[in-house]
Amino acid sequence: MKRFFIRLSKIRTAVAALLVVLLICLLCVVSYLDLPLTGFAFDETSDAILLDPCPQHPMGTDELGRDLLTRVIYGSRLSITIGVLTALVSLVIGTVYGAIAGYCGGKIDSLLMRIVDIAYSLPDLLVMILLGVLIGRGTLGILIALALVSWRGTARLVRAQFLALKSEEFVEAARAQGQGHLKIITRHLLPNSIGPVIVAMTFTVPAAILSESTLSFIGLGLSPPACSWGTLASDGWRSLQTHPHLILFPSMFIFVSVLAFNFLGDGLRDALDPRTRSISKVGKEL
Amino acid sequence: MFAMIIKRVLSAIPVLLIIATLTFCLVRVVPGGPFDEDKNLPPEIIKNLEAKYNLDKPIAEQYLLYLGRLVRGDLGVSYKYVDRTVTDILGDAFPVSLQLGLAGLTIAIIVGVPLGTLAATRRGTFIDVLAMFISTAGISVPVFVIGALLIYVFGIWLRLLPVGLWESPAHMILPAVTLAFGPTAYLARLTRASVLEVLEKDWVRTARSKGLSAYATVSRHVLRNALVPVVTVLGPLTAILVTGSFVVEFVYAIPGMGRFFITAVMNRDYDLIMGTTLLFAVLLIFTNTLVDIIYHFLDPRIRVED
Amino acid sequence: MNLGNEPPSLDWHTTTDSTSFDVISNIMNGLTQMDGEMKIVPALASSWEIEEDGKRYVFHLREDIFWSDGKPVTAMDFVFAWRRLQDPDTGASYATFLYDIQNAYEINTGRIKDLSALGVEALDQKTFAVRLKQPAAYFLSLTSTCPTFPLREDVLVEHGSKWTDPRFIVTNGPYRLHKWQHEYKIELHSNPDYFEGEPRVKVVKMFMVPEQSTAFALFENDELDYVDNRSFSTSDVERYLKSPRYRNLPLLRSSYIAFNVTKKPFDKKLVRRAFAMAVDRSVFPRILRREETPLYGWIPPGLLGYSESTGLRFEPKKAQALLARAGYPGGKGLPKVELLYPNREDARLVVEAIQDQLKKNLGVRVELVNQEWKVYLARRKKDPPPLFRGAWGADFPDPESFMNIFTAGSGNNHTRWSSTRYDALLDKARAEQDESVRASVYQSANRLLCEDEVPIIPLYLATQNILTKPWVEGISFNALDIQILKNAVIKDPAGKDGAI
Repeated sequence: MKRFFIRLSKIRTAVAALLVVLLICLLCVVSYLDLPLTGFAFDETSDAILLDPCPQHPMGTDELGRDLLTRVIYGSRLSITIGVLTALVSLVIGTVYGAIAGYCGGKIDSLLMRIVDIAYSLPDLLVMILLGVLIGRGTLGILIALALVSWRGTARLVRAQFLALKSEEFVEAARAQGQGHLKIITRHLLPNSIGPVIVAMTFTVPAAILSESTLSFIGLGLSPPACSWGTLASDGWRSLQTHPHLILFPSMFIFVSVLAFNFLGDGLRDALDPRTRSISKVGKEL
Repeated sequence: MFAMIIKRVLSAIPVLLIIATLTFCLVRVVPGGPFDEDKNLPPEIIKNLEAKYNLDKPIAEQYLLYLGRLVRGDLGVSYKYVDRTVTDILGDAFPVSLQLGLAGLTIAIIVGVPLGTLAATRRGTFIDVLAMFISTAGISVPVFVIGALLIYVFGIWLRLLPVGLWESPAHMILPAVTLAFGPTAYLARLTRASVLEVLEKDWVRTARSKGLSAYATVSRHVLRNALVPVVTVLGPLTAILVTGSFVVEFVYAIPGMGRFFITAVMNRDYDLIMGTTLLFAVLLIFTNTLVDIIYHFLDPRIRVED
Repeated sequence: MNLGNEPPSLDWHTTTDSTSFDVISNIMNGLTQMDGEMKIVPALASSWEIEEDGKRYVFHLREDIFWSDGKPVTAMDFVFAWRRLQDPDTGASYATFLYDIQNAYEINTGRIKDLSALGVEALDQKTFAVRLKQPAAYFLSLTSTCPTFPLREDVLVEHGSKWTDPRFIVTNGPYRLHKWQHEYKIELHSNPDYFEGEPRVKVVKMFMVPEQSTAFALFENDELDYVDNRSFSTSDVERYLKSPRYRNLPLLRSSYIAFNVTKKPFDKKLVRRAFAMAVDRSVFPRILRREETPLYGWIPPGLLGYSESTGLRFEPKKAQALLARAGYPGGKGLPKVELLYPNREDARLVVEAIQDQLKKNLGVRVELVNQEWKVYLARRKKDPPPLFRGAWGADFPDPESFMNIFTAGSGNNHTRWSSTRYDALLDKARAEQDESVRASVYQSANRLLCEDEVPIIPLYLATQNILTKPWVEGISFNALDIQILKNAVIKDPAGKDGAI
């Protein structure tokens, strides 16, 4: 009976997470449509400077008298787009790269990993300043810049999983059966590495949302008055003691969406893994 | 094993050379030079300054000059910290970042790995959900906000700990905790995922059915196998942490390497950028080699170099 | 106290940074110094004569001035220092300060190799004479600035480039450099032999805390005894506006929006004037919250030639009419214009406000482009965008320091605008000895710049905000943003070991 409730709660959290993620995506879509939901425009300045939350401005206003709720809604546009896309791009690149290195091993692995070392060592900041000069502003530039730094970790993780897995019995068995490399990778190795990869992916989302705000400091990110959750948070944090609403609301949105992505990622892992049901039992018994 | 280490050391040389070359090109391609200032200097004076640092020579010659000095162990001089050598600066700043980084790393490992293991073995319970909340907070709240909150609560409000500066061991606590937040969250999630992964394995169930206690199963067999991804991220993480976090050093006014590095980039302090980058690369190669060695001990089946 | 950042160097010849000057001004003195009202008063020189219609200056040094190793300060130290300043090998950025001296420019640019050709000489141990190539009315103010401080030849010869190390440096000011931990702290100890008497505060600790809110937290915890702009964010200062310990002082530092007058549509004077009249400067003090003074003309209040009526006021109706006359009624036909600004909190708020005003008042779409600091500088130099934000802090308290940046040959004029009439007016003002004539010449130049030609829109004058602990008194500031600690007093030394 107790186990039943535990499983139910598991499903419930995953379902709830999915709902929240859908809501956030909806918010993101709505923000692209520029609907006059709040009665204010995101770049509309006024004399009502730095108001605390009140009925008219549920989240207060900023230094230029702009409605914070409107800006938070507008901010979801870039933050969610960038968060999700960066995670996907770095997942694909990192997984393919790491899979090749881990599966092939030997000289190829060594060469590929040295390239990762080099990519890690080049000063990101300089690379991004250069990107900003070459590409200029816009979502594409931000996406490239962030994907450029986030694939490396995923690649190393997948490679390590593959190194550990490829000498396991079931892989040997598959090989003995004469299955092709591609099939072994996609059927046997990848599904068994999914846990850490999903974690890496759910971590890329907040990392991308937050580091996007630092990009605008080097001329790559958004150009004001456009804003994102990241820029709102980084503009507002010094007012922590005097005007906490400036940092509180954007951070809350980041927190809730990241939490939802994490729970969803967990559920996803369960769904993708063929043997999950039985394990949660083992986990419980331990 | 020994052969692998030798191989790694040898392969590190071309890797470092490539990093040095790429960074050398990078710093010179990026717009803005070391002597561009808000108050514009007359061209005559810029010429004098460039001559002083050999920056008036053709790029290729500058590059050869740099490599020549590098081979002799001379990392060059800083343009901003006038008349200080890069070796001097790194010699002052690196130990500070190293201490702070190791402290942060220790916290992250001590808290993150057990938290993740606990969450995995108590999957779906309150502890698991709590661990999820903690680690989500750890990664979704910007570091500077965490820093500001800690300063406010422990420094100003409770007056328990110093709010900044680098004077005594007590001054290290808040920055180390701030530094550890993100890595702790990451390690916890990663450990949880990979412990779950291992718990699924048939042999774990076999071990349990043979009557091995739960604690013994986890500590002796599961964790050991689950640590592969954790150790993987520890490689770069260690290199990143001990070379200093700009945000933490900035927020707590600590004279570490992260601070010098960002200032160097902002000032286009060419040699200092190169020096810091190379130091980081050396550390990264070192920790990654260490990781590959540790793989071998965790799981003898992993053979890195065939 | 908090310096905010590491002083790049304490060599008063090569550094250009206000943080360095904050330290140097407390360990060194020059021929003259500035009092609270920015008037020039004696320091190392007890008196001076101006001869030959302002082309020759003779300074008489005090008898009781000594270097920190006990040797007297002599005229030869000035001769050596000023020659070194112009020596191309020194690579001194502020060599330009003394370009009015005979042969200075030629020596610094390598046209004359012989350093002794510079128009300075030691008539005897305590008499120092300077010959200018043309009269320069502001010359005396220059002798109070850091780049013109004396220097000991033997110290430099002995220690080479390491002479600013606390172990070797030799100074003559109220404090001595005791300890320097890079990117962290500088410690000064009082000079018992100082000619104005040993300072009452014996130890000064200058920390380098870059993050404002941390510095402010240190102040609230009594670790810092006084803080200024570098040490609090706009919202921190809000909580202390009513406190008797809060002071607000105007600085000689102005912000402006500049046009690149070669880019359409700003090649038209009418358009530039319309833009200048469409910006409501009164919002800046409200947004930046530091009691900034809105500026309409380029010479700030307090300096010679300032006039309240100079400059174009905020008149949106007239601005629209001007724009219509220029061929863009209601902003129609105007391309989207770029406004470049560097990455700083205050700059961002200001340009965002301007963007919105131009949209409301003129129907112009402005695209804001922010760049990392050095990229911004490079872009401004090589290919200035149609609009960009700039700021200028005076090097010495004279309108010359503001006005000459927009002359044709100035390296700081990125507007691509030049006017022979403007340059001629400035040449005239520079050589003029009579104050009131000089003032009126600067006034005409100011009107030419800000009412007629309008290559720039002056925005506001920045302020310095200061908070001190109740037990600290006597720290003086001047509008060049330099703080002098020699008269500081700590009322309860028991608790604080007489340290700041």
